[in-house]
Amino acid sequence: MPSSGIRFFDGRRILAASTHVDIDNGVVESAGTSFSDSALVRVLGPHGWGMVSANSLDISPGKDMDRVLAEGLALARITGDPVTLAEPTRGEHAVPAPGEDPRGLDLEDKTRVLSGIEKAAKLPGIASTRATYIERTEEVFYTDSSGYESRFTITRSGFSVLAVAKRNGMAQMGRESLHTIHGFNLRHQEPMGVKAGETALALLDAGTAKGGRMRAVLDPELAGVFAHEAVGHASEGDLVKEGSSVLAGRIGERIGPAILTIVDDPSLPEFGFEPVDAEGCLTARTEIIRKGMVNAYLHDRETLAALGNGVTGHGRAEAGEPPLVRMSNTFIEAGDRSTEEILAECRDGILLVGSRGGQVDPGRGVFQFNAEYGYLIEKGEKGSMVRDVSLSGEILSTLHGILLCGKERVMHQGFCGKGGQSVPVSDGSPHILLSDAVVGGSGTD
Amino acid sequence: MYLVEGTGVSAELKRDAVAMATGSRDWGLSIRTIDHGRIGVSSTSSPEKWEECLGAAVASMSLATPQEWKGLPGPAELRRDAPSFDDRVIPEPQAAQDFLRGMLDGAKGHPGAKITSGSGSLSRSEVTLANSHGVLYTTRRTEVSCSLETISGQSTGSEFAHSPFLEIDPRWVGERAAFFATHSAEGRPMETGQYDILLSPVALAQFLGNIFVPALSGRTVHAGRSRLGTLLGQEIMDRRISLFDDPFARGMGATAWDAEGMPAARLDFVKAGVLASFAYDLKTAYRYGASPTASAVRGGPAGGPSIGVHNLVLDGPREEIASERALYVHDVVGAHTANPVSGDFSVECQNPIWVEDGGFREPVRKAMLSGNLFDAVREIGGIGAGSRIVGNSILPCVRFRSLQVIG
Repeated sequence: MPSSGIRFFDGRRILAASTHVDIDNGVVESAGTSFSDSALVRVLGPHGWGMVSANSLDISPGKDMDRVLAEGLALARITGDPVTLAEPTRGEHAVPAPGEDPRGLDLEDKTRVLSGIEKAAKLPGIASTRATYIERTEEVFYTDSSGYESRFTITRSGFSVLAVAKRNGMAQMGRESLHTIHGFNLRHQEPMGVKAGETALALLDAGTAKGGRMRAVLDPELAGVFAHEAVGHASEGDLVKEGSSVLAGRIGERIGPAILTIVDDPSLPEFGFEPVDAEGCLTARTEIIRKGMVNAYLHDRETLAALGNGVTGHGRAEAGEPPLVRMSNTFIEAGDRSTEEILAECRDGILLVGSRGGQVDPGRGVFQFNAEYGYLIEKGEKGSMVRDVSLSGEILSTLHGILLCGKERVMHQGFCGKGGQSVPVSDGSPHILLSDAVVGGSGTD
Repeated sequence: MYLVEGTGVSAELKRDAVAMATGSRDWGLSIRTIDHGRIGVSSTSSPEKWEECLGAAVASMSLATPQEWKGLPGPAELRRDAPSFDDRVIPEPQAAQDFLRGMLDGAKGHPGAKITSGSGSLSRSEVTLANSHGVLYTTRRTEVSCSLETISGQSTGSEFAHSPFLEIDPRWVGERAAFFATHSAEGRPMETGQYDILLSPVALAQFLGNIFVPALSGRTVHAGRSRLGTLLGQEIMDRRISLFDDPFARGMGATAWDAEGMPAARLDFVKAGVLASFAYDLKTAYRYGASPTASAVRGGPAGGPSIGVHNLVLDGPREEIASERALYVHDVVGAHTANPVSGDFSVECQNPIWVEDGGFREPVRKAMLSGNLFDAVREIGGIGAGSRIVGNSILPCVRFRSLQVIG
């Protein structure tokens, strides 16, 4: 091994098989399986990292690996950032056994069941339907210069269904999706197709919301996106270390009400589950906000050494890509209020339902996300439906404006992008009430 | 068969120090098989697994719904002037480091801005397409890019540049990123209301890419999901606007052949405001009896071809668009959450700044922009001078009339 100048190295290789089915208006557009074999070797030189990414790379000790380490060291020599690593916490959680293992089903079965969900969305008035299935099995092998090794295999799968309703030149869509690590989840899900169709049809008759500042109730899905976008990203140790997070330097500071606890937990068997992180560290729960106070940041080994306040285990990476500090399963802990109490307390405002995704600038502390639809709240009761409503705001003032948390937390699955890498995540929350939300809508009155 | 082989190098800044340098070697093969109108696809990143990949493509074929298929293209005389390669681009760590140094240097003009992160990269690749009708095309591609993120207090600024040629200016990137952070740090609240908006090429690319380009895809149109689907021949944009795909323009998607081996050609989507055509790959064109437009790009599931654009260009008569007061928007947060079917959007503006008399004036602290893209492009306030490469598009700054802004 060309060890001179190498302080640490590790390698992570992932063999993956990805299956997809795409059914569009009853036509099987494509269905099939693809394969990849990607590895990344990281070498910590005298200062910073040199990394080598390649396909079909053997990362076990030997001549090939020696060559890669020498290459990594040469790359590391142009760096000047004094990187140090915290001691890893070793160990791993067992990958939950799948209910019905999708790997054991043939593609024809999957296509047939998906087709049933797509057909269910085709209600009278629906102009277009589409359903997609994705399944990815990863065999992950990790090794590092201490001799530590870990291996696991995990399959993630799920589906989405889209319906578009049209009338008089107006088009609206409804979309439902469900992803899991617990096995094939398409059976008996035709009601989700129906729901996508019903939403699209209902939105044809929905009005537009008048934008402005108002009280808003977020449903569990959108409140989960809020936890992810507004708090989760800003708690990522790399952003905190770079100085591009509004949560930097605020450990112990009160930034929200005492009812507010926000957690990221990669060890939870939800869609963002990781048995061990991309640096071979045991994954564990981090309470980012505990009872309204900033409690900890999310960390990999490098950011924990630099900042403290938290645990390792939040390094995640796509195959062949470097670990980044990432969220996994992020949620607001349940409170004690019923949904009726929350609507009553809101009095006049808006209920925002579902999510079309969101984005945040954690340095500026500004976030934006879009609900799938909403309902006006009038005199404490759910009123008429509105379409295309969004929410934006400043992280710190919005957190202070959380008034109530509901009793029941629900998780939703998705994918989160950062640094060009996409990883599976889940977000969740009970219903929450915000006192002063900036709601966007195209209605003028 | 579509084969991509490439090497690249990148270097990354954390604050103002180089924290990481990465070398990469990529290899990817995707295979498509077609029999009696059934289409199968698979891909692999392991050369030794090509047979398994072929088997998976054949298995995939058996499940697909059969459709009208009139054959793959044969060899054709190709134009030789698609600008996709620059032999000055050599993926070496030193070159990536030079990009970082240039950006740091450029940022020094605004000392109030702290660097948070940045990156510089160079890559070379070779793309080969072969089919059973005798096509065997190979193209070499190069790509360089750099980007910088800065912060001043709680005000962020970012800028980037990318090109197939060694023609990016890292100093300009550094200067702009630092300018936006420091200038916006003094941002003041604004009144909610209707205002003229100047969308930068970066902000415009977000709107076009998330809403307009999907609506121009023949597949979206025939699936009944495009708001433009029934409007061919009608005026859908301001008469000053033309929107086209030019595979021979100096952009990131320059190519002489599309991802299915069709000779690439200019495709006019909108000519002087009038919707002229949609984009088709072979599969969609054959299915719906439309003419193929050589619009296949790679990147779909399993690496199969799908409908896209090579270099999307928005053009028209250029004029001074910042003389009368308007709100300039450098970038937007959340464009992907727009409604691609209806065109409704609501996004948060990055670095909103008032412009007047051709220059930047007072910065605004926070602005949420709402509207409908299909409506907003019907009457614009003008197209500004110059254009820049943003992903697979080449765009100017465009002035939009009277959009809703929540302060």
